[in-house]
This record gives sequence, C-alpha cells and structure tokens, in this order.
Amino acid sequence: MPQPRFDRLTERLLHAGIAPRHVRRYVRELSDHFDDLVRVEIADGAARELAETRALARLGNDDDLAQAMLERPELKSFMARHPWAVFGIVPLVLPLLSVVAALYFEIWFITHVHGFFSYLTGQPPGPITARLATEVFTAYNTLAVYGLPLLFAWAFYRLGSRQRLPMHWIVTGVALICVLGGLQELVFYDKGYVGGGVLLFRSGLFAFAPMTGWLYSPHADLVQEFAHAAMNLAIAGGVWWLSVRRKASSAMELHTA
Amino acid sequence: MPNPVFMNGVPELLILRTLEANEMYGYELVQAIRLRTNQAIKIGEGVVYPALHALEAGGMLRSRRKLVNGRTRVYYALTAKGTKHLAGLVRHWQHITDAIGLAIGGTAHAATAL
Repeated sequence: MPQPRFDRLTERLLHAGIAPRHVRRYVRELSDHFDDLVRVEIADGAARELAETRALARLGNDDDLAQAMLERPELKSFMARHPWAVFGIVPLVLPLLSVVAALYFEIWFITHVHGFFSYLTGQPPGPITARLATEVFTAYNTLAVYGLPLLFAWAFYRLGSRQRLPMHWIVTGVALICVLGGLQELVFYDKGYVGGGVLLFRSGLFAFAPMTGWLYSPHADLVQEFAHAAMNLAIAGGVWWLSVRRKASSAMELHTA
Repeated sequence: MPNPVFMNGVPELLILRTLEANEMYGYELVQAIRLRTNQAIKIGEGVVYPALHALEAGGMLRSRRKLVNGRTRVYYALTAKGTKHLAGLVRHWQHITDAIGLAIGGTAHAATAL
C-alpha cells in the first residue's frame, strides 16, 4: 500500500542503505501509528486538520524518524554495506555456476529418468525418441544459456534499484552478468545410434586462462560467444533504456496532471 | 529527558520491560510506556520502531502479523534471549540510579553543611 506521507523518508532511508524490508515495515508501522493518533485526536474533539498536525508532531519529524533508523547499522542491507561483493564478485561466478548447475541437472535427468522419451512418443528408443530428446535438450540448453543471464541481469537491476544503489554498481553487475553469461555454452546432439547423445559444455572463460587459452588455441565458437555477450548487453541496455523512458514519461504525466 | 547520553539504552529497557507481560503493537506499546513513565520521558513516538526492529534483529524480540479490527498489526513479544537481556539491563540501571541517588544525596548533604 503506498504511503505518500512518508515518501521522502522512504527515499532517504533507502539511499542511506537501510534494507528495503525494514524501510517498508517502518513506513507501514508509522502510517498505522499516524492513523491511530489521528483517530484518538478526532475522538477527543479535534478537527481532522488539527488532528493530523498533532499526530505528526507526536510521531516525530522526518529528521528524527530518519536519524533513529540510521543510528542502527544492523538495519542496513548486506548489499548496501558490501556492494562490491554483490555487484562485483557474484556476477563473476554466477553465470558459470548456473550453467554448471543446469548441466548437472541435465546429466542427472539423462542418467536417472529412463524411458522418458519412449513414454512420451510411445516408441522404443530409436530415431524418433532421439529427435525429441535433441529438441527438448536443445530448448533446455538455450533457456539455460540465453535465458538465465538475462534473468540474472534483470534481478541485479531490480535489487540495485530497490536499494537505490549508485548507478555504477548496478551497471557493473548487469554488464558482468551479460558478458560472462554470453561466454557459456551448452550443446546436446545425437550421434545417430541408441545411447549416442553427446552433451557438451564450453566456457569462453577458460579461453583466457593461461593453461587453456594462450597455450592452447581458443575454441572455434569464441566469436559466437562474444556475439552472444554483445547481444545480452544490447538486450539489457535496450530494456533499461525503455524502462528509463517509461519512468520519465510517467513522471511527466504526473507533473502535468 | 533531553540529554541523549543519559538516554542510551533507555528505550530498549522500557520496550523490553513493557513487553515482558504481553505482546503489543507499536502504538499500544508507546501508550503503555507513556503511562508507565507518567509521561516523564517524551520522545517522538515513531522512533520506537527502529529500536523494535533492532531488538528483533538481535533476537530479543519476535514479531508476528495479526489481524485486529480489519487491520494487520505487527505484534512484538519478548524472546528468552530478550528476557535475559532485560534482567541484565535492569541490574545495570538499578546500579546507575542507586549511584546517582547517592551522588544527589551527597551533594544535598554537602550543600546543607555549607
């Protein structure tokens, strides 16, 4: 529920790094407290305007209310205290870990769920089940490799914006996720005989490691992976631009109204 | 009581003491404190909430949402850790008030002697 009376206090606390959940609860509690005070004042015979003025005076001014919260460092969010960890370190490992997790799930599925594609097609293992398996695994791999980085980028944008973090941290996190997420690749293909499916995981990250990159030539798909990274950046940037434009136009409409 | 140094720890003490018997929501708690202290301690009523949040984060209080008269309230109650902490705070403040009582008594005595 919006609490316009405490909008400025909300913004001030979020910018100062107080965790959004504490800010939301604080504002909701203040709002309820304000309503209670107004009700009592009105019951005592005050007009609404006077009742509201008295209620605000009893509640405390914005400076006092903000100061009381800011004096409690334990109410600050981890993200506000350590933005370098959330937007600098996590994006370095998250794309790789997520693709490895997706890969392990796929391996588990292949090795433990026997006869799944035969059950779906009503056919014994053969070309038909192999084709369906290839389609399903390719779709899954595409989602894991193309969808997850964009999902993470969106989550980082949301988290950073919700906490009103400086823009450079949000841009760093989103850009790292987009680039490093683009360098991961999961491929499944069928070799044409029963049990001949191949699951391949490649990461462009290893191309830059001294032992795998400079001594051994980077794998042939590195260019494609950079194109994927550039596409991620373009999509994230585009969505960001659209969202900024939408916010600006809403603000303009509100101002005009 | 205007001096903030002397107020250090007072809100926590009053909150924990007041919540010792019953769980309460913020407004209820503030009114109970005003009654208990005979309105001697006047602070902005809203500043009680950061103290409640911090006490909860420290494990001294627990909170739950409860629907009362069609409105959802956040009720706070003391935990076992909070009860133990309160006992320590009470001992500490009794020690301080005893010491101040002695000091005031001594000053008054000296003034009379002069």
